[in-house]
Amino acid sequence: MTFKNWAREPLVHFLIAGAILFAFFAWKGEPADPTSREITVTREDQARLALGWEQTMSRSPTDAELDSLIQTWLREEVLYREALRLGLDRDDAVVRKRLANKMDFLATSIAETAKPSDTTLETWLADNPQRFAPDTDYSFDQLYFSEKDAAEAALSQLPEMTEWQGMGEVISLPTTSKMSGSGEIERRFGVIFLERLMALQPDGEWVGPIPSGFGWHVVRLRQRNAGEVPPLADIRERAENDWRAQTLETRREDAYQLLRDAYQVTIEE
Amino acid sequence: MIKKILGVIALLAVVAVGIWWLLLREDPVANAQKAASAEAAVVLTRYPQEVLWGDTHLHTDNSIDAFGFGTRLGPEAALKFARGDEVKATMGMKAQLAHPLDFLVIADHSDGLGATRRLYDAPRMLIQDPTLRKWHDMMHESPEQSQLAIAELITAAAAGTLPAALRDPEASAENTRNIWNAHLATLDKYYEPGKFTPIAGYEWTLMPDGNNLHRVVMYRDGYERTSKTLPFPGIDGKLDALFDYMDAYEESTGGRVLAIPHNSNLSNGLMFEMTQADGGPMTAESARRRALREPVIEATQIKGDSESHPFLSPNDEFAGFGDVGWELGNLPLSAGKDNSMFAGEYLREALKRGLSIEQQTGANPYKFGMIGSTDSHTSLATADEENFFGKHTGNEPREGRALESQNLGTRLGRFGWHYLASGYAAVWARGNTRAEIFDAMMRREVYATTGPRMTVRFFGGFDFAGIDFASDWVESAYAGGVPMGGELTDSGSAPQFIVSALKDPDGAHLDRVQIVKGWVDASGATREKVFDVVWSDEDKRRAIGGKIPGVGDTVDRLTATYTNDIGAAELRTVWIDPEYREGQSAFYYVRVLQIPTPRWPLYDAVKFGFDLTEEALKGSVAQERAYTSPIWIGPAAKATTGA
Repeated sequence: MTFKNWAREPLVHFLIAGAILFAFFAWKGEPADPTSREITVTREDQARLALGWEQTMSRSPTDAELDSLIQTWLREEVLYREALRLGLDRDDAVVRKRLANKMDFLATSIAETAKPSDTTLETWLADNPQRFAPDTDYSFDQLYFSEKDAAEAALSQLPEMTEWQGMGEVISLPTTSKMSGSGEIERRFGVIFLERLMALQPDGEWVGPIPSGFGWHVVRLRQRNAGEVPPLADIRERAENDWRAQTLETRREDAYQLLRDAYQVTIEE
Repeated sequence: MIKKILGVIALLAVVAVGIWWLLLREDPVANAQKAASAEAAVVLTRYPQEVLWGDTHLHTDNSIDAFGFGTRLGPEAALKFARGDEVKATMGMKAQLAHPLDFLVIADHSDGLGATRRLYDAPRMLIQDPTLRKWHDMMHESPEQSQLAIAELITAAAAGTLPAALRDPEASAENTRNIWNAHLATLDKYYEPGKFTPIAGYEWTLMPDGNNLHRVVMYRDGYERTSKTLPFPGIDGKLDALFDYMDAYEESTGGRVLAIPHNSNLSNGLMFEMTQADGGPMTAESARRRALREPVIEATQIKGDSESHPFLSPNDEFAGFGDVGWELGNLPLSAGKDNSMFAGEYLREALKRGLSIEQQTGANPYKFGMIGSTDSHTSLATADEENFFGKHTGNEPREGRALESQNLGTRLGRFGWHYLASGYAAVWARGNTRAEIFDAMMRREVYATTGPRMTVRFFGGFDFAGIDFASDWVESAYAGGVPMGGELTDSGSAPQFIVSALKDPDGAHLDRVQIVKGWVDASGATREKVFDVVWSDEDKRRAIGGKIPGVGDTVDRLTATYTNDIGAAELRTVWIDPEYREGQSAFYYVRVLQIPTPRWPLYDAVKFGFDLTEEALKGSVAQERAYTSPIWIGPAAKATTGA
């Protein structure tokens, strides 16, 4: 097992997280110990509170404002410790849910921040090409007619015409499109037109009429270039987002299964 | 002893993990740099050639009310949905846009950013405030109770009685910082310059006595600059404080920021006052500041349309779209509305007031452009009637939503069908980048639609004689005039306007194009007139008593379908103001009307198989529309630039 694979193992995450917690308490002497009634608001704590203020208000807090920030923080800390002393964290549905959420978070936190390697993402691209292949590009000419009859009449004359551009009716649509992506065509001509265009042969022959939301079109498809998955370097960000979203989902489930398998569960009838 | 050894080992482990994490974790600054270089690589066209579609007003689960209403989708899902991906809505339905959007401003409330979520997650016994504890319990009880809790919360916010813990910006500053920075990093991650542009922003929720003075604040910049600020809280603030904040941001970071007022229709007359907020006369200085900071206004959205009102425009037969239900009072209906308030609420009247104030002070505070946006609280930016996910998660598609009472806190007045599946912002930019979109808004080269994606061009000038709509007319129009949002200097001859409207390729045909003119007459009074400048079937539809006959109605109420047998695919013309008077300050904007189509309640009624009430049925067919930013004309000395 390589280091990378180890790094992906939910069990390793739990062990590391456990170690962190243990180390923290070994070092800090459990500051939230219900029996401890000693609180030191360190200079660092104060600076942190002041900084938070500063970031909102674009100025430093006055002494009075800082004092009030500290008192608010202190109040929360005192009540928090007393609540723990009273055992208010037990038998509370919300605490239970919150802790469960945190466990989920532990399982996924490393995936959330880790940088996947090129190899990982290459594999991801290869396994999910449909998510990354760009639009197919089309080069075509079209003439617009509001009535179908007019379009049919024009179609019968077109093969003999050299000056074809003037034959259609005037509308704000390009007569010639060069290497336009399917997204762009859909945006300009609409869904119905694109569907029909996709089915045409790229043989440069005038065909139609084909419908759109505007009316009728006589079309000649000159070229079609199917989109290929671009190299990873060009779409790394997108591939990574996609990989991460899926991986988080899988992690959470794997981590749960790992723990779940250690339990013997009986659900009484 | 053993404890000590274990402690040391554990400490080492911590350090090792820490280093590992530091080395491998994502770096928002590097992300931002990557975004910046991709942005620099976008090739800009010489003039705006493609209109970009977006929503500047979307809420996610970071919004205090959206979360409470039940939304569990965050910014990532919102971005994926907007760029065209399929996502699973909170209530479990698959959701996808028919056409992707080009940009998105996620505008979560700055007040209590993430607070409801924290309240929901908080251990119950640690919630000291009895009101907060009650809301916490309600949020956990059921979706219905959760919605009720948020309704109470909004009512309390409007009344200024929110518990201190939710109003206290300092107490939550650190949480806000974490949420904000994580959010900014997410935006940069999804930024694909040239293709899809996430924009940083938030909603500033000023609401004195429940009167809606909300603004969306929107940045031009990426992480490097925006992470140096925090969303500015505002429920009990002052407008000038927001402008101070914006000044400070620009000075300290070198970035740019603008604000977009919305739902002036729920402000009970306060959004566009003739005076200063404190009642004193408007000064030129504050008028200039307002115009500079607020170059565009949201004219239409889910909570009603603010373009015009029949009370203010009795001669405009198409005024009043999306007004029903919203004209009863302010946002939480804590105060009713009387007729004298409308003038401070509707955009056409505000544009007129602006001319009037300019005449008195020399500066126009209300020289704004118009956009539409959703204000959706579901993380889903939907504005299509047949694919509408509602104002909040409680109103995602389900049988009862169209007819239920939908009030915040009360049970009277507003019902589901009053809510609009509206709208989107259309932006004429030279490329799809943050800077280009922002700059287009600053120069007001934008327009609003209630959802359909019509392509609308509007130019003003003095010599468009050569324009015949042959292939390169747009370039000539730019060369010989100003686009929507621009200003003309009065030179003694009547202004000419080129207007061109192409239908939504997958939508309904167009009924007509109108130019709305507002001016100040010789006595100093403001006036308005709506001109029909081009319409479908002009040979058959001739004016009767100065009015063009209606286009007809093909909507089948039983199947929620319509046909494009009436109307036109494209309408365009060059129009010269026949009532021009030299020396008169005026504005002109375009309103494009589609043929009648079903609204979402009718699609719902057919889909779920129930009957609408008579009143709801009447309101379930409408002529959707677009509003462009105005073009102003005035004497040279008074012409000011928005940017």
